[in-house]
Amino acid sequence: MKNLRRRRWLARPGGAAVTVLAAGALVFGASACGGRATTHHKPGTSHEQAVGSVGRLLAADDGSGHRLRQVDAKGAPQVTVAVRRDSEDGWNVRLSVRNFRFTPDSVGGAALLGRGHARLFLDGHPLARVYGSWYHLPDSLVRSSGGGTGLTARLYADDHTAWAVNSTPIQATTSLTTASAQPTAPAPHRPETPRPDTALEIVVSHGKVSPAPGRTEIKKGRIIELRVRSDQADTLHVHGYDKEARLPAGKTVTLTFTADRTGLFEVETHESDLLLTQLVVR
Amino acid sequence: MSVLAHGIGAQHDLPLSPFYAFAGAFAALFVSFLALGLLWSSSRFRGDRAGRPLPAAVQRLADARPTRIAVRVLGSAAALLVTLHLLLGPDDPDRNPAPGAVYVLLWVGLVPASLLLGPVWRLFNPLRTVHLLGCRVLGRDPAAGRPLPVRLGLWPAAAGLLAFTWLELVAPDPASTTALLLFLSLYAAVHLAGAARHGAGWFDHADAFEVYSGLLARLSPLGRRPTDRRLVLRSPFNGLDATPQTPGLVATVCVMLGSTAYDGFSDAPSWIVTVQTSPLGRTTAATLGLLGAVALVATLYALCAGATRLISGQLRHPLTVFAHSLVPIALGYLIAHYFTLFVTEGSRTVMVASGTDNPVPPEPPLGPGGVATLQVAAIVLGHVLGVIAAHDRSVRLFPPGRAVAGQLPLLVLMITYTIGGLSLLIA
Repeated sequence: MKNLRRRRWLARPGGAAVTVLAAGALVFGASACGGRATTHHKPGTSHEQAVGSVGRLLAADDGSGHRLRQVDAKGAPQVTVAVRRDSEDGWNVRLSVRNFRFTPDSVGGAALLGRGHARLFLDGHPLARVYGSWYHLPDSLVRSSGGGTGLTARLYADDHTAWAVNSTPIQATTSLTTASAQPTAPAPHRPETPRPDTALEIVVSHGKVSPAPGRTEIKKGRIIELRVRSDQADTLHVHGYDKEARLPAGKTVTLTFTADRTGLFEVETHESDLLLTQLVVR
Repeated sequence: MSVLAHGIGAQHDLPLSPFYAFAGAFAALFVSFLALGLLWSSSRFRGDRAGRPLPAAVQRLADARPTRIAVRVLGSAAALLVTLHLLLGPDDPDRNPAPGAVYVLLWVGLVPASLLLGPVWRLFNPLRTVHLLGCRVLGRDPAAGRPLPVRLGLWPAAAGLLAFTWLELVAPDPASTTALLLFLSLYAAVHLAGAARHGAGWFDHADAFEVYSGLLARLSPLGRRPTDRRLVLRSPFNGLDATPQTPGLVATVCVMLGSTAYDGFSDAPSWIVTVQTSPLGRTTAATLGLLGAVALVATLYALCAGATRLISGQLRHPLTVFAHSLVPIALGYLIAHYFTLFVTEGSRTVMVASGTDNPVPPEPPLGPGGVATLQVAAIVLGHVLGVIAAHDRSVRLFPPGRAVAGQLPLLVLMITYTIGGLSLLIA
């Protein structure tokens, strides 16, 4: 196939120059594109930081790219976190704050003392941003974040810098397993999670996907469960549904969701940029 | 892989069900055979002599200097806005309207705009405006310049189209601001230099978007009669029939067809696996795929032209003489592939541009069944229009005894393209 017409092009006087230019454009284009544009951040999750004048912006960050904003210990925001097992699914998380107000309306704006939001982390992996004192943490989110038991709540300013005192972020940690008032062990709750109608098991190793990527047909409204294991730490992403899950290296991660939109959707990894499968939802 | 997967849009249309596709293919064959021979024994199209003039007031309004200037200002302002967004906006197509403006509003939007209003990009083209202003400042006549070699024809436009579709479908990161800025500045530099050397006529032949818009505008009911410069309403067939047989026309149309075909099969899991496991690397493998698709479309066409020549004896330009009949086919594929994208991502781009941060694209206006019907209808109708255009051309060129035999190769080609196009939608 490579290629009758192109040679014919080149044989044309005048055509050649243009071809060279076009080829040049291709080469430049190929070399100039560095990292992929990040396309999957939903509103309010960007890492841009507006610079506010409250406190002192430290060079150190919170471990997830947000710089620390140091304030005096006196009058600084405070937080404590408590969890309670939910009778149906997951955990009820309660944040108690002092000298602090949740300000969802002004998120993204400049930092103001005693205002902002909280973020929840499970063993250091980001779980959610919280704009109030109560949050329900479903089991599915715990699973898709790679399990873990250490739940941390940390306070952030509107400009996404982390509030800090003495170069330490203002945060509180509790454990999901030893929490008080845990009525039942997590195991009996398993059967209550809806049974998936389709389950896919995918393994990524050495940049190879097995089984080889194909198409999976699903009826709209059915529940699909993806069980993915990767030999390298990565991020799993379902296009269109915008479902993401962290893939710790060598760990099987389960992502369950209801296929409630029709269309053709790609399931892929972000770091290695591999197509895992395509979901055909009719 | 495709921009649809990684840059613009997260959702694709569903693959067609084979039933729809084959029903479509058989309908195309049936209508083509009927049109052949039975009903149409002498040429009916009159090319650009045809048409019913529009009222003088409409023509005056369309040709008025303020109208033209307003359109030029609009085009330049849009280009400036896109450039500023590319330079200053975030490198994220969910938040920056520029990639959507280029790939969806401009590239796909030119299709409906040209179909309704004619070759509109000539009027909007910001490069033309820059050239015009430059000439005004230097006191030069914009049209003056060395004449272009006749043999060059539309070849520069075909190359430009290939480069653009490569950027859209193959480049590792087509929606990144770096890639777009680089492409657009290189494109602008080449064409401004070309126009400075050869005059404004350069754009007619070399500007990929003008040629693309101009070819699609052949199917517009709105046209201009060259004899008296009147705006006329005409049958799209007459506009198509008047397509000038310029060198490079075949290449341009083959790039249009081949790149759309590549866009179709680059979604198939088997092709994605080939690309992501290729020892050549992804970009090289995908580039070969795109070039291969264009080459395949072109080879099939060249074989068909050769066969036509064998059957019907002497033809002066067997390659270009039927090239116009590929334009409606390309249009059919464009509609089939990009309708949903245009409606959902086009409106999302407008929402981003008007200040909404990362909006959710609207639901597609048609359900899966509706989209499938539209896709099959577009492809089949495109081929039927192509067959009719080719048939009329052949009864004009060939003696009556040979007219039917002479277009058999073309019919076979159209059927091949139809089956190929539909299997891409099934795949």
